[in-house]
Amino acid sequence: MSGVILNNVKKRYGAVEVIKGVDIEIGEGEFCVFVGPSGCGKSTLLRMIAGLEEISSGDVQIGGRRVNDLDPKDRGAAMVFQTYALYPHMDVARNMGFGLSMNGWPRDEVDRRVNEAARILQLEPYLDRKPRQLSGGQRQRVAIGRAIVRDPEVFLFDEPLSNLDAELRVATRLEIAKLHGTLENSTMIYVTHDQVEAMTLADKIVVLRDGRVEQVGAPMDLYETPDNLFVAGFIGSPKMNFMALDNGRLPDGTAPAVPGAAGAATLGVRSDALRPVESGGDVAGEITVVEQLGDAVFAHFRTGWGQEMVARFEPGTRLRAGESVRFALAGRTHLFDAEGRALRAAAERLTA
Amino acid sequence: MADAALSRTSFAPPRRREAWLSPRARRTLVSIVLAAICAVWVYPIVWMISASFKTNGEIFADSGLIPDAPTFDNYTRAWREANIGQYFFNTLFVTVGSVIITTIAAALMGYVLGRRPIPGKTALMGLMVFTLFIPQGFTIIPVFELLTSVGLGQSLWGVMLATCGHSIVIFTFLFAGYFGQMPKELEEASRMDGVGPLKTFWYVMLPLSKPIIVTVIVMQTLQAWNDFLLPLVVTLANPDLRTLSVGVYSFRGEHFIDWGGMTAASAITIIPIILLFLFLQRYFIDGLAGAVKG
Ligand SMILES: Nc1ncnc2c1ncn2[C@@H]1O[C@H](COP(=O)(O)OP(=O)(O)O)[C@@H](O)[C@H]1O
Ligand SMILES: [Mg+2]
Repeated sequence: MSGVILNNVKKRYGAVEVIKGVDIEIGEGEFCVFVGPSGCGKSTLLRMIAGLEEISSGDVQIGGRRVNDLDPKDRGAAMVFQTYALYPHMDVARNMGFGLSMNGWPRDEVDRRVNEAARILQLEPYLDRKPRQLSGGQRQRVAIGRAIVRDPEVFLFDEPLSNLDAELRVATRLEIAKLHGTLENSTMIYVTHDQVEAMTLADKIVVLRDGRVEQVGAPMDLYETPDNLFVAGFIGSPKMNFMALDNGRLPDGTAPAVPGAAGAATLGVRSDALRPVESGGDVAGEITVVEQLGDAVFAHFRTGWGQEMVARFEPGTRLRAGESVRFALAGRTHLFDAEGRALRAAAERLTA
Repeated sequence: MADAALSRTSFAPPRRREAWLSPRARRTLVSIVLAAICAVWVYPIVWMISASFKTNGEIFADSGLIPDAPTFDNYTRAWREANIGQYFFNTLFVTVGSVIITTIAAALMGYVLGRRPIPGKTALMGLMVFTLFIPQGFTIIPVFELLTSVGLGQSLWGVMLATCGHSIVIFTFLFAGYFGQMPKELEEASRMDGVGPLKTFWYVMLPLSKPIIVTVIVMQTLQAWNDFLLPLVVTLANPDLRTLSVGVYSFRGEHFIDWGGMTAASAITIIPIILLFLFLQRYFIDGLAGAVKG
């Protein structure tokens, strides 16, 4: 029983409300990712679970206990900070064992746990180095090791990869995924602004915006059936194309072949749901930029009404800026009402 | 060489920057000038050390810096008869005590001022800065009164306590600045680890402030060791309690000044300070640099 439940949680700094009533249920052993743009309150929420920020109102439960008034150390949660926050004057072993030693654990038990964590994280050769003698990735692993030795019910990660370079970020992401496999029963809550991290790591994603939950769900659910414009635009790369609809017509007056479009205010279509056609089609434009990614080609084009959109082409497709292109909608399309809420009826596949 | 230089000048206009001095020559010149300034600076100390090995007669015989017949008499006389030995241990007591008290108090106050939200902090710090502008001459009598009223007016403990006050404001600010710029995640990590605030201060924050600690120890040692006015006032009626700086001064007799004894006593006074500085100078300079950077 180490699930985490947030119940109408709010956080106010003075008169400013930064967390505006959040309900989340995270099951035991689940890997949950909070994702959202910078400043939306992810860290604040995580720190409230950790006990580093007071909870203005609402309840936080860990493992079935209400922990609002418990000290961080009594909540059974361990945190990995974005900046690692290693103790600079202690070696790696001491960094990991410090908390246990200070709480009167017997020395050989501390050593045993530190060695175990070092083994899992492949830190054994570095146990007597100081943090400054380690690379960024190694420091990050020490920070994770410090959490592991405490054998917490809940791991809390606050953007743990954002100080690493791109290559190391991917490698460490895999490490964390493996770690979650190793520590089966540990619940993990992971904060990031990077939707790729969220998609790759999460069992469950919580999309936050401006102190509110926009949508909770499995990664592919969010990708395929976003609840609203914000989630649709935030999850997935490149960003979903949005076109304004007026009585079922695009700004240039054509009517796209989407059932139910008449009642929608916005039509959303991902880059891979635009199929190039010789003539006819639903959208036409002129290519402005071509991005070759190797396994795909992304063509940015400007529509007749001056909007920038992006379409995916098969690798190897030759395209030039200035070329005219036409597309048919050939895949999942998304319709949203004037408030930005998804209209579910449109989520069915087209076979055009 | 000369040919090449000549032919070059004849074809191309000489470049001014190269014409005057090569960088190497310039460095040498600068070194010589600095060495000369340094010599002027160091001369009084060298003279004092030299004089301490001369007899009173020779000191004013203008015999140069190397004593004709080096003697240790001045030192034995100063240590035994002039009580410098006693004064030495008085000074040591006052210095060590005040260094311990000052360092701990300044670190604790600096920690609170640098890291904790406390009401009226700005006003408090402003008040502390204000005290820096009051010369010691104005406060010495009230301080003495204060010591007397708590029964420490005639004791080394009183000198020790009052000596703590000289620079504690500056030290507190040094610590506050240093602690203030430490990332808050360090303390939070420690909190998540279940370590209480006192242990966090002792095992995490304090060890990290080592450069400041060394700076404070060195500066307070210098101050306490060399302090003159305060021990003079407190020990006026009590020669047994004199510190070195006051003791050295007392070599000035009514009709006769024992220059030999006085210089020997002075040498005894400054040697521990020089040793301390040699020993700690690297940390000390690091600490000052760190404080400025921070
Ligand atoms: N101590 C604080 N006082 C006032 N506002 C704060 C404080 N900490 C964070 N905030 C505000 O709360 C919002 C959420 O911050 P944060 O949780 O750090 O965002 P994120 O981690 O999602 O980037 C931000 O708008 C930030 O300015
Ligand atoms: Mg954050």
